[in-house]
Amino acid sequence: MIMRILLAAIAATVSFSAHAQATPVVAGRDLNWVAIGMFLLIVAVTLLITYRSAGRTKSKADFYTAGHEITPLQNGLAIAGDFLSAAAFLGISALIYATGFDGLIYALGFLTGWPIVLFMMSERLRNLGSYTFADAASFRLDRTSVRLVAATGSLVVVLFYLIAQMIGAGKVIQLLFGVNYLFAVAGVGLLMIVYVAVGGMQATTWVQITKALLLLIGGTLMALVVLWRFDFSLGHLFAEASRVHPKGAAILSPGGLFAEPVSAISLGLALVFGTAGLPHILMRFFTVSDSAGARKSVFYATTCVAYFCLVIPLFGFAAMVVLMPDASFFNVGAGGQFNKITDLIGGPNMAAVHLAGALGGPILLGFISAVAFATILAVVAGLTLAGASAVSHDIYGQVIAKGNAPEAREVMVAKIAAVATGIVAVGLAIIFENQNVAFMAGLALSVAASCNFPVLAMAIFWRGTTTRGAVAGGLVGLFSSLLFVVLSKTVWVAVFHFAGPLFPYDNPALFSMPLAFLVIWLGSLSDRTARATAERRAFDAQFVQSEIGIGLSEGNNALAGVAR
Amino acid sequence: MSLLLSSEQTQKILSNPSFRELTAARARLRWGLSIVTLLMFFGFIGLISAASSALGKSMAGGAVPLGMAIALGMIALVVALTGYYVRRSNTYFDGLTQLVRRECGR
Repeated sequence: MIMRILLAAIAATVSFSAHAQATPVVAGRDLNWVAIGMFLLIVAVTLLITYRSAGRTKSKADFYTAGHEITPLQNGLAIAGDFLSAAAFLGISALIYATGFDGLIYALGFLTGWPIVLFMMSERLRNLGSYTFADAASFRLDRTSVRLVAATGSLVVVLFYLIAQMIGAGKVIQLLFGVNYLFAVAGVGLLMIVYVAVGGMQATTWVQITKALLLLIGGTLMALVVLWRFDFSLGHLFAEASRVHPKGAAILSPGGLFAEPVSAISLGLALVFGTAGLPHILMRFFTVSDSAGARKSVFYATTCVAYFCLVIPLFGFAAMVVLMPDASFFNVGAGGQFNKITDLIGGPNMAAVHLAGALGGPILLGFISAVAFATILAVVAGLTLAGASAVSHDIYGQVIAKGNAPEAREVMVAKIAAVATGIVAVGLAIIFENQNVAFMAGLALSVAASCNFPVLAMAIFWRGTTTRGAVAGGLVGLFSSLLFVVLSKTVWVAVFHFAGPLFPYDNPALFSMPLAFLVIWLGSLSDRTARATAERRAFDAQFVQSEIGIGLSEGNNALAGVAR
Repeated sequence: MSLLLSSEQTQKILSNPSFRELTAARARLRWGLSIVTLLMFFGFIGLISAASSALGKSMAGGAVPLGMAIALGMIALVVALTGYYVRRSNTYFDGLTQLVRRECGR
């Protein structure tokens, strides 16, 4: 039983859709006009942003990076807006609502990736590339094959992450606004296609900034209401929570989720290093003018994410106290019994939304629902842009056209790719509506940690890396994480209904990530070709540029110079 | 493949004392802080599997359980570490970078 709840909660966190029942319109039970008004306002504002950005999206640099003209503070907010998904906001508060302390560890994992991104990635990436992280990965390696591996890794991550987000978005919007799932998914898809295809990075950035500000305001407002309810005493909050929760005082100490060290470390690795390999996050470092800007934006982003790690647990614990004793928040069985976690109307993911309604009435409920909606939009827009860029810049521009594509045509390809990515995502979200998709977001993080991160890190930091090693290691990381996830419980048992998993752990990162590093190392070490020698020799020039960014001042031609 | 810098330019910069100082100091800071970050997080996970019940107990005189207090400390530490890196870069590394660029005529 406990295991079932835990699984449900994990599923909730990663895809936040597994247990959302189709009971439309939460808590208010009637149409919430504040929510609908806010929802329309957000749509109107973001479309206005897109309209104003449209005229400024002509060149490649405009489309992919908003002309490298975003300030560090703006970019920091946009990164937070890109990263803090509805899975983070609703899912982690649901996980804490269900398990207490364990949910907090999950939040810490999400946060711990950020210092690693700062120390190892952000500045070097900005110095070595112009548009996508594949630029930096293939700086001194073969631009066709390494780029193809990096672009494939990007597309796999983007697609799985996007489908998970879209399905979750459809269910949440269905619950919040009482819209049919099909319309909800198609509506979100249409909006994200319009933002990206019309407004490019400029519009995406401002949608993400708007969302980050809304989330900051909404989160702070709710945190204040919660603290006020408990006389600003965490002791009161914890004491009352452990009195009403079915697990009692056990919610205050680590429970089953991280008890088994191998699974815990594997999940931790995926959370920490997956962040450093997410293409839509890495792409944001090219929107600022230089490496100092990239570095500062990570600091602002980290501060925002840390702030959410502080306030989200408040929502989870307060929701226990406020919701659990009140049967009106639950689907009550014939005998009057209900499960205090799984029977919450709309599923545990709705804990924060119910809490907003219970503490702040329909106004706060409407506001938080609208914030959740904005949260979804900003993340799917960022993902769509990253997917479109992998297709148009990496695959079309550099691999197919060898860097000789006319700029206007590459931008056109990018826009078409954005439309295609959006349509594919909507289609798959509709096909997978009633499937168990809990594995998808976890898989995206594992691939990011096992393919994108090792290739990028080894290309940047190890002189010995050659094309053969990077390609082999990247592919091994990609396919081993896919294979392990398919053989694990979340797919082999939950989707294919086999009796037992062939791979005993939910998350493959502990195995697939070291495997990728090992193959890159061995594949490079044994590479005695003339090309390998030239690539190792080119490390010096790459090292100099990654450290002091020579070439950036000359009009961002660093990459173009390499590509020619 | 043609890189922007010629190999003479590259070698000139690589042997520049300011460049060596910059890269050595930054590498120490980068790997040092990364190790601290990873030890902190995975140490915490290790602590959980080793002594989970102790983490649920409140500290003497406080209402917040020990594990929660550690988690809050880690959140603060993450912000402090990134803040320190950015500050050090702004005040020290950026100056050295400018110096290298001037000395190497770029």
